[in-house]
Amino acid sequence: MVTYCPDVDDDRVFKALADPTRRHLLDRLYQRDGRTLSELESELEMTRFGVMKHLRVLEDAGLVVTRRQGREKLHFLNPVPIRQIHDRWIDKYTERRVSALLDLKERLEDTA
Amino acid sequence: MTTVTAQTTQVYQVFIKATAEQIWDAITKPEFTSRYFYGARIENTPEAHRSLGPDGSVWGDSPTFEYDPPRRLVHGWRSLYSPELAEEEPSRVTWEIEPQDGGFCKLTVIHDQLEGAPKTAESVSGAGWMMVLSGLKTLLETGEPLAG
Repeated sequence: MVTYCPDVDDDRVFKALADPTRRHLLDRLYQRDGRTLSELESELEMTRFGVMKHLRVLEDAGLVVTRRQGREKLHFLNPVPIRQIHDRWIDKYTERRVSALLDLKERLEDTA
Repeated sequence: MTTVTAQTTQVYQVFIKATAEQIWDAITKPEFTSRYFYGARIENTPEAHRSLGPDGSVWGDSPTFEYDPPRRLVHGWRSLYSPELAEEEPSRVTWEIEPQDGGFCKLTVIHDQLEGAPKTAESVSGAGWMMVLSGLKTLLETGEPLAG
């Protein structure tokens, strides 16, 4: 189990997302959630061990949550950390840009 | 982009710097839920899950299946807040609170048994549960203290 610490948590999410295979795995889960390792493995040109390693990174970042169902371990996409990154890193900057554009529009229209 | 049918089992997880008891209170008492759950006043008791919208209309009224404070709560779900969704079959919501190191708890919400409620599944996915969980986290971590 990974100890949660908010300072390194963003790092984990960014690192997890900074890999095309891991983004591909998230996209697969987005299309159909609750999959086994074997199902995910069958769609990738990669060894079982490789897929496990990538899933582990996604799990440590909180982007994938596993649940046991009978004898199977199912992998679910957890979108909450992406939302938090969005709120923290994207909303903030896009908002400023939008308001800067609105300011510009106002100023141009005032002088017109 | 491919259109995706909303999942019949949805899992959401968030780490919150709060005690299990604080989280339990925040999800079972209406004075707290009204501050992060789209304004709904939700009361979860050992018998029932009852939710009232900000205008006093009934948003939810379902049985409680498991009530184990401050660890686990399982209750039924019907989307009575929308006439269209209210006609669908009931589904189920599970809340799990697991204490972690460093004063954090892991909160997992599982909304499942959505097979007979595709419109509800669609409505709670995307921003639906995420807004609730991020609001709950903000309330507990930065809001007014829950105790006293």
